[in-house]
Amino acid sequence: MAAPCRKIINQFVKRSLKCFEPRVIPCRWSNTVRNHTVEKHRHSPLSSTRELVNQQDSPSDVMVPREFRFVHPDFLPYPVWNRRDRVREKLEREDMLKRRAVIDIPEFYVGSIMAVTLADKNAPGKQNRFVGICIDRAGHGLYHYFVLRNAIDGQGVEIKYDMYNPLLLKIEVLKLEKRLDPQLYYLRDAPLEYSTFRLDMEPVSVLKGAQVPLNAIKVKMNPRPWCRRWERHNLKGVLPLDDYITEKMKKQKQHPQIEKPWEKHDLMLKARTSIDDREVDQIMTEVYKRKEKIQKEKFQKRGQEGKREVKKAQEVKK
Amino acid sequence: MLGKLFPIPKMNKIAQAGVLVFRGPNACVSAFPIQSFSTSPCLNQIIKLSRMKVVDNSMLGRKAELASKPARVIHIYNKKGVGYLGDKVLVAIMGEKKRAYIVGLRQNQKENVPRFDSNNIVLVEDNGTPTGTRIRVPIPSCLRNREGDFTKILSIATKFV
Amino acid sequence: MNMFRFPVRNTPRKFKKSFGVGSGPAERIKKLQMLVTALIRNERLEAKESYCLETRGYVEQLIQIAIRNGDRHAETMEKADFWLLEKDLVHKLFKVLVPRYQNYSTACTDFHFLPKKVPGSGVQMGILELKGNPWPPVVPRQRDQGHLLTNVLLSSAKAEYRMEKKITPDLRNGDHDKLEQAANT
Repeated sequence: MAAPCRKIINQFVKRSLKCFEPRVIPCRWSNTVRNHTVEKHRHSPLSSTRELVNQQDSPSDVMVPREFRFVHPDFLPYPVWNRRDRVREKLEREDMLKRRAVIDIPEFYVGSIMAVTLADKNAPGKQNRFVGICIDRAGHGLYHYFVLRNAIDGQGVEIKYDMYNPLLLKIEVLKLEKRLDPQLYYLRDAPLEYSTFRLDMEPVSVLKGAQVPLNAIKVKMNPRPWCRRWERHNLKGVLPLDDYITEKMKKQKQHPQIEKPWEKHDLMLKARTSIDDREVDQIMTEVYKRKEKIQKEKFQKRGQEGKREVKKAQEVKK
Repeated sequence: MLGKLFPIPKMNKIAQAGVLVFRGPNACVSAFPIQSFSTSPCLNQIIKLSRMKVVDNSMLGRKAELASKPARVIHIYNKKGVGYLGDKVLVAIMGEKKRAYIVGLRQNQKENVPRFDSNNIVLVEDNGTPTGTRIRVPIPSCLRNREGDFTKILSIATKFV
Repeated sequence: MNMFRFPVRNTPRKFKKSFGVGSGPAERIKKLQMLVTALIRNERLEAKESYCLETRGYVEQLIQIAIRNGDRHAETMEKADFWLLEKDLVHKLFKVLVPRYQNYSTACTDFHFLPKKVPGSGVQMGILELKGNPWPPVVPRQRDQGHLLTNVLLSSAKAEYRMEKKITPDLRNGDHDKLEQAANT
């Protein structure tokens, strides 16, 4: 009788003492200063205070084309707001534009066939070229990357390239296309003919201003085992998988824990994991302006150089 | 006491009621149905008893492929116990012990390094000369700066990616 | 930078036992639907602190997308239809709340902590309300009591006392500076 009583009293005392204990702050990022701590002491015009943000919201005179944000998804920052740093993001964007002024990075999507030339000190021509279909593009800011896949001599090969790696010498788009899915990792479990492309493929020209063609091909998958559970991914570019999976797997697929129907209307989930539309507009306007300015400067430089060359030639003639 | 509650089946019964526990390099057969298992993607690391594909044109490799008895790693010649690109391994193939070099991995790689659809090895003799005369698949270009016995493998390669 | 106009946790709170033991994320959303509906209907809500703060995010997001997209946007209408269980509130959202919060640069909700009955134990309760609601304020407005006769007398007495103290500082403690100041003034 006495023992449980004492236990309860002990618990009560412990609980009431808890509010007087000093709180222990975990030192996970002990070597870094949190961004929102630094933010209070920054005086740059990029201030994140509400009034200035509202000023930036006002409609600007520059009209950004609507598809600009889909062509340049690499300019969007990491969406988790307490890990972000506006100054670092701005500097990164500047670096990206500087790199884009040096190397021509064309418009491409998941599903388009590309060729990448890479500086390779061990190769005989100091260059290495790889052709393949783009099966994924991801990463934020300067760390944007894309993955190419090809089948060479009956062996599937995939290479991941960082888009802003200075070792990249040339990026070509041989065939501009879109596919039905945002990622094509399922080609690993499909017959190799779907991911075989000739290394000496010639570029297919696309009319300027025309819509990007959509390749609505449906892939026939190999029987299981697969590297992932493709039946749960709701793939659009794949023929129905009902023949390959068991009854139990079909049932499992409809389980609420896997389907997660509650995520469909979760407003905060969307707000936490994606970047706000207004902010996207801000970033894209800024990038568009900078890009146009850089291009103008580039043209002017070229024009001046051309004039100088003409002058030199005239002097030589004289 | 435990034995009475959960009688352990004899060895021949285990073999009869075999269930494939999981795929990948560590696939094994167990008599007991699985209660819980991880659904995280496989790391695809090369450890002891990982199954490898011989990609040179040696008779031994072709024979193993026809008999569908892939080479298995018995030992890895580094201190990590995990084989990476360009590491030397000891494999058991058709009842023989052979040394081999890893020339392609299924594992996710760093940027600019190719990832292959299978784990590839090239067999070598004890003195370092390759058993075959030609390699049938492309080889990662980042292995070109290797020195020593690896240059002999590079000399029989047909393509680099 | 941070587009939220109110403090947001990086991970959502799990509602334990929102509909009895064993309730999961589906029940959490169900509970939130009820809370959002109640808040838009009554404009004020008294609940657990965690429930209030979690509801706050959803209400703010709902009002913001309603302001941005208007009632002709199919997706916004779908979201409003999902979150407001009583359908007459959809009209309230677009016709009353959208004009009210259109020019706000701050959050459109307010949160207040309620005191605990026994300090150190029990659940922390709170109040969530829409700004500009017709109810009397949660934090009572303090009456200006300076004009009451007793206060006027007291304040004048205080002032007098201070003046005296300035003029006759304590010389035993060596307060020469104060003496000089008094002489100067």
